[in-house]
Amino acid sequence: MPELKVKGITIIETFAEAFPMVGTRIIITAPTMEWALISARTMTGFATSVIACGAEAGIERTLTRKETPDGRPGVAVLLFTMNADKLQTQLRNRVGQCVLTSPGSACFAGLEGEKSLKLGSSLRFFGDGWQMSKVLGGKRYWRIPVMDGEFVCEDKTGMTKKAVGGGNLLVLGKTHKSVLAACTRAVKAMAALPDVITPFPGGIVRSGSKVGSKYKGQIASTNDAYCPSLKGAVKTELPLNVEAVLEIVIDGLTADAISKAMYAGIHAIAKGGAREGVTHITAGNYGGNLGPHHFHLKEIVG
Amino acid sequence: MSALIFELKDTPGQRLDLSPLVPERLAGLSRKDIEALPIGTTRETLTVGDAFKVKGKDAENIHFVGTDDRCDKIGASLAGGAIFVDGDAGASLGAQMKSGKIGVTGSAGVLAGASMAGGEITIRRDVRAQACGVAFGETMGMKGGFVTIGGDTGPLLGERMRRGLVVVGGRAGDYAGGRMIAGTLVLKRGAGRYAGYGNRRGSLVFLEKPKDILPTFSDCGVMEFDYLRLLEEWLHAQDIRIRLGARARRLMGDMAVLGKGEMLILA
Repeated sequence: MPELKVKGITIIETFAEAFPMVGTRIIITAPTMEWALISARTMTGFATSVIACGAEAGIERTLTRKETPDGRPGVAVLLFTMNADKLQTQLRNRVGQCVLTSPGSACFAGLEGEKSLKLGSSLRFFGDGWQMSKVLGGKRYWRIPVMDGEFVCEDKTGMTKKAVGGGNLLVLGKTHKSVLAACTRAVKAMAALPDVITPFPGGIVRSGSKVGSKYKGQIASTNDAYCPSLKGAVKTELPLNVEAVLEIVIDGLTADAISKAMYAGIHAIAKGGAREGVTHITAGNYGGNLGPHHFHLKEIVG
Repeated sequence: MSALIFELKDTPGQRLDLSPLVPERLAGLSRKDIEALPIGTTRETLTVGDAFKVKGKDAENIHFVGTDDRCDKIGASLAGGAIFVDGDAGASLGAQMKSGKIGVTGSAGVLAGASMAGGEITIRRDVRAQACGVAFGETMGMKGGFVTIGGDTGPLLGERMRRGLVVVGGRAGDYAGGRMIAGTLVLKRGAGRYAGYGNRRGSLVFLEKPKDILPTFSDCGVMEFDYLRLLEEWLHAQDIRIRLGARARRLMGDMAVLGKGEMLILA
């Protein structure tokens, strides 16, 4: 079978294995876009992987004044966990500590889901009895007095159980510089798409992991098959000339959104062509038995 | 399908109870059945056919044409569908309605939208006393929904209101928001005396500074309210032209009762 190539970069015939997650979207507004972003970045900080962060979160996109409920600049944030209870706890803690505390902020539902999560419904107690409830068009909002005025927060937001986490691309290249440049482009291309986030730092993860370890109690450890420095010692997946591998992990509200993001990512990576130094694009999986969602690179590129 | 139209033949000799003329009760009835419905309120029997010329078919979309202030209970207990009144409405317009829409080109009598729980009422001109107040047999006023009044209102607008939003284009009468439990009144041209008397948790939003403020409302000063921006955006989405901005003076009260209500006077 001939190798599949895009602009000279080999696309390995494999698939990304992804897992069902629960997800939600909220909208954060502030007096300026700068402050909406500060609030959103704080809320989505330390949310790269559910393994130790409790949640995976990121900024989906910025919103213009016309797109927000209060006519101020805003940011849409996506938050994912493995089950609804954890999502509820993470949402309450993150909005409570990072959005409620942020100057001039307000927080609204960003999803009409089949199920709902408490938003202002639990944060209102911060008002110590001085909170006020207002219903507009069937939606309840809480006005919580704070030192710079009032924190306005919608009572509930929607939740979806159809979210997918762990869509991914592994990018192999001849120099660290070329792989980083290609991945940065890919993250930027994916950022423009709806319903997805790339939760790792700048969207990119350099420490891909495998399940388990030689050490007791270490549930995940370095993915030695993709470590260039171990090529001669382990059953490597890398050609000898590969110097660096970076991974882009994608979480989305739907499987379709992840497919589209992977498509955009692959083409953004390939934009530089083989001449840039990227040699292969592949994806991570566990043999296909763990996650129900399989994103085959061949189908995505095709 | 064309709207079901009721055209008033001439001034009726008695007040009319038009509460049977709602989509829920008219669905599936033939014109003959509809014309036989009693709508009189005195010993003298009066049917729909006696007072109205009936045209059209669609019971989900009812039009009243040429009605006056003796046509009571239009859309009372409405639970879906639309009613359009080309003329005036009498007492208890849309009282205790749960959902649906009512539009009136003229004025409405007392108790318009009284104890309504949901839906929308739009009245182009004035309303009389106790609009969105307490309907007969109820303990609370308006419990939800959205009412716009283009003109002035009589006294006791939103009396014992529990939830919902009322926008008044003209001037509200005395005791606007009297004994209000919660909910919101937006008053473009102010109100008469004793506004917010006995207000517990309700909001009265004044676009113009009211002349008389009860001494039991205490001043919290001027600040920005994101809620006003949210309210303005929502009203714009309902095609209501209004400019609220964000800055307002907040007075909390009525301190003679719970005192968690407010007047927001735009600054």
